[in-house]
Amino acid sequence: MSEWLNQAITQAHGVSDWLSPKRDQALAALADIRWPTRKTEAWKYTSLRPVEKFSKTAPAAFNTSQELAQIEGFECLDLVFENGQFVTDLNKLALPQGLTIQLASQANEATQAAILAKFSSIKPERHVFGLLNDALTQDVLVIEVADNANIVPALRLTSVLGLAAQAHTRVFVVLGEHAKLTISEHYVGNEESLNTGFVEYEIGADARLEHYRFALQTGKAVSLGGSHFQLGERADLNSTLVGFGSDLSRVDVDMVHAGENAYAKMNAFYLLDGKELFDLHATVEHAVPNGTTLENVRIIAADQSKAVFNGRIHIHRDAQKTLAELNNRNLLMSNKAEINTKPELEIYADDVRCAHGATVAEIDKKALYYMQSRGISRSKAQELLNFGFINELIDQMPSQALAEWLRPQMREKFAQMEVK
Amino acid sequence: MSNTNTKDTSSLLTIKDLHASVEEKNILKGLNLEIKPGEVHAIMGPNGAGKSTMGYVLSGRPGYAVEQGSAQLDGVDLLELDAEERARAGLFLAFQYPVEIPGVSNLEFLKASVDAQREARGEDAVTSAEFLKLAKAACKQVDLPLAFLKRGVNEGFSGGEKKRNEIMQMLLLQPKVCILDETDSGLDIDALQVVAEGVNSQRSSDRSFIVVTHYQRLLDYIKPDFVHVLSDGKIVKSGDASLALELEAQGYAWLQPRDEEGQSA
Repeated sequence: MSEWLNQAITQAHGVSDWLSPKRDQALAALADIRWPTRKTEAWKYTSLRPVEKFSKTAPAAFNTSQELAQIEGFECLDLVFENGQFVTDLNKLALPQGLTIQLASQANEATQAAILAKFSSIKPERHVFGLLNDALTQDVLVIEVADNANIVPALRLTSVLGLAAQAHTRVFVVLGEHAKLTISEHYVGNEESLNTGFVEYEIGADARLEHYRFALQTGKAVSLGGSHFQLGERADLNSTLVGFGSDLSRVDVDMVHAGENAYAKMNAFYLLDGKELFDLHATVEHAVPNGTTLENVRIIAADQSKAVFNGRIHIHRDAQKTLAELNNRNLLMSNKAEINTKPELEIYADDVRCAHGATVAEIDKKALYYMQSRGISRSKAQELLNFGFINELIDQMPSQALAEWLRPQMREKFAQMEVK
Repeated sequence: MSNTNTKDTSSLLTIKDLHASVEEKNILKGLNLEIKPGEVHAIMGPNGAGKSTMGYVLSGRPGYAVEQGSAQLDGVDLLELDAEERARAGLFLAFQYPVEIPGVSNLEFLKASVDAQREARGEDAVTSAEFLKLAKAACKQVDLPLAFLKRGVNEGFSGGEKKRNEIMQMLLLQPKVCILDETDSGLDIDALQVVAEGVNSQRSSDRSFIVVTHYQRLLDYIKPDFVHVLSDGKIVKSGDASLALELEAQGYAWLQPRDEEGQSA
């Protein structure tokens, strides 16, 4: 472990507040855990050097002139963390009926006790940086949707970091029975910084969650975090994860089918250039029968970038009639780029329908020639093809407004990529 | 058509002694062909004669190596150009097996093609709205539902739909020389008529066609000025439209070059 981390942990030991029982538990677990190295399976392809090297200089004052991206047509309530501090004035937010948002530190004791009982129960303990977040987070933002409430507009959660900042944001989201919510997590900034951003989602019976995670930190920003979901009976989750790489970007996703007949769809795509790295570990647990999981992951890696994908679907003995599909397609743009993919299906039930596959391809030369034969330049053809590879998933984003916002950013990325 | 052409009698496409190979196997072995503006030439011939190779070599498909000879389009040396430059010079190949490109919409692909060619000619780009109008008209002309503009390029299209899509591209690109590579294969009679009508609507005194086919049937709809038989990499017989009927009746055997023992194949 590094010096800043040791100091941070030492400091955390001294804090005493409502969160202490969980914090102490996490600190104890961290003390027992071996710091991951390249020999640790979950970190085999991803070096933690950028974390270890992170300097603990105090962050510069946050530049508040930095405005949130305008997303045309996307109506949302903004919840903003700057350098890890929650800066939104909750009193000024006009919340629709059925939606409660509060910081746990300011809630009453009963609420705190309820949160403590659930906190870190959906995010599995094996995530080292999840434990670190448990230990270092200063507060928990709690978002609750009452039974039967259909929340409009969407919620946009933004974590933005400036130079030398670190942030350990933590959010807990509860959807009651038959509740509906759209939430979009945004991680932005390209300054040298470090953040762990974890969000837990408890999705009640018959509830529907439309979820996005835009892990768009680039450059020297080190980003480690996760989105973790627990699905109740007949719950419906539609999740889209978009990643740009940085010196180190890692997202852990967990989905647990806790109630029968739940439906989980996850589309993830990442685009990497230069020496960027992006690592997604996604685990789906089918603990009960009749669940459905559809997972689609697409990666484009250019130049000397490095992509890691580990997708595990675990179907427990009792999870009969599970339908699970995991599809991972990858496109290499250069012979120095690296894609490490490992789709895993672990099946202990005998009556299930499962499929998984991973392909790594170079750009389709036949399609390139076909396009050139119509007068399209080779570079434009490459851009169209790459975009096509990802566009199928952008098209599937339930929010048209977010898709339209994302598309030009993707195009810009593609335009900069070179085939080598 | 050719006899009504008074504007220009010089050739639009001239292929001289063209030798080409694929994976070190010689396929074209001295192909000669001269096509004047406005003419329609049919190329027939047995399997493996080099009919498709001719289209690929002229259009610049990677992996097809020219060993010898020349090909000029309107005075431009085609073989010196990249594939996209050949298209911009006015060459169009309607593929026998059009390529599926999932994720790239047909409309986007068509617009990128037209934009690239207009830009190369120094013309202004058409606006998206104007282009949509043109594309819809072309789509109707080849009898494809408009939804096909939104779908991925050729993605999940039937054989006939792919061929119609090729003709639609031709309508939009307005090339000087069109090579139709077995555009009739896999078409039912209705689709065949649609394709033929699309081609006939584009016949003009300054545009020429090479129609590669196995069957006389297509030539009932697209009347050729000349018919050539391609066998073993070169043209072994040329004639007028009646040659196609003769081939239909007698097959190709009587035209095969004699082998070394002097026996007719």
